[in-house]
Amino acid sequence: AAMATSNPSVFLLTVNGQIEGANFPEYDNLYCKYCFVYGHDWAPTSGLEEGITQITCKGSQSSHKLIWNFPLETTFKSTNPSGWPQLVLSVYGPDVFGNDVVRGYGATHIPFTPGQHTRTVPMFVPEPTWRLQKFTSWLMGRRPEYTDPKVVAQGEGREVTRVRSQGFVTVSFHIITKDMKKLGYDTGPSSPANTAAAPSGWSAEEQPINMQ
Amino acid sequence: MAELHIIGQIVGATGFPQSSLFCKWGVHTGGAWRLLSGLKEGQTQVDVPQTGEVAYWSHPIDLHYATKGLHGWPKLHFQVWHQDSFGRCQLYGYGYCHVPSSPGHHRIHCVTWRPLGSWQEQLAQMFVGGGPQLRSPDLVYSGADRYRLHTEAMGTVELELGIVMRHFDKYGVES
Repeated sequence: AAMATSNPSVFLLTVNGQIEGANFPEYDNLYCKYCFVYGHDWAPTSGLEEGITQITCKGSQSSHKLIWNFPLETTFKSTNPSGWPQLVLSVYGPDVFGNDVVRGYGATHIPFTPGQHTRTVPMFVPEPTWRLQKFTSWLMGRRPEYTDPKVVAQGEGREVTRVRSQGFVTVSFHIITKDMKKLGYDTGPSSPANTAAAPSGWSAEEQPINMQ
Repeated sequence: MAELHIIGQIVGATGFPQSSLFCKWGVHTGGAWRLLSGLKEGQTQVDVPQTGEVAYWSHPIDLHYATKGLHGWPKLHFQVWHQDSFGRCQLYGYGYCHVPSSPGHHRIHCVTWRPLGSWQEQLAQMFVGGGPQLRSPDLVYSGADRYRLHTEAMGTVELELGIVMRHFDKYGVES
């Protein structure tokens, strides 16, 4: 694509990042699937829209860290910030009988200020509503799952679901945008090199929300 | 017309007596504002955290407003509810916060409160739950008749909001 345009009609968002790893106190041997969800005005122009990481297990030194170090490189174009892309994550692992079950779903918006950002994404699983269903699902290795993980990126229809949050995935991003200013959009100051925000959520006790 | 994009999440809640919480939320604006796309109200899922007491909802918000004036800047208002294992719901708090008016990424802690009943009602609430609720929810984001209420402090709703503004500078607005 040509770098110089005097009257752009679209702006570009380039995402270079990685799914660093996860913190799941109760589970091990996990892999993560990711995909991007975006609105009608958006389209990916390069890079992959989805992928799967390797299976990783907790290291021997820091027993609670799960590391994937999985690259994300995608560029989107759009005419409108509505429908800004979200990264949807689903983490899977083996249960006691060796079946692959879901350990968490989560989603986060791609940051829109240029610069470096880290996000700690809480991961949750849908909860079966009664005790009997919990027991049979444990026995059969079939937890309730979403038929399409992309529903995690939507707000509608959540009123009837009961979920359990049980882990976090840490993702880091380096964001570049092109022509947003020319189209009149002000996205605020670029982020400083050190994102002040939350602790990375590595230890089982730390939580990304500061409790005063 | 200037445009405002609100793109982010209701992250979760902390500091409430019990977890197993959900949140009903909405956005209130003045007459000069028009919603171009997105849902301006909703209800999160119920989260029962496995560890810790922080409930995580990760409820996405993606709103696009056009406006002719600064009056009636959008306000987000919340009702945090507790759902027990039998499916019964109890109000845990009301709260509101203004949508930030400067572009960029914002971390917001929205405080909440709950109406306090008479001492008889408080005693009953300790045993069977329930408790007084507001008859008209707009009291949450307006100051009009607040002096009539006696309330107690409850927990905090955590938000991450990204704000994109367009053409505000053309009208001379500094933010």
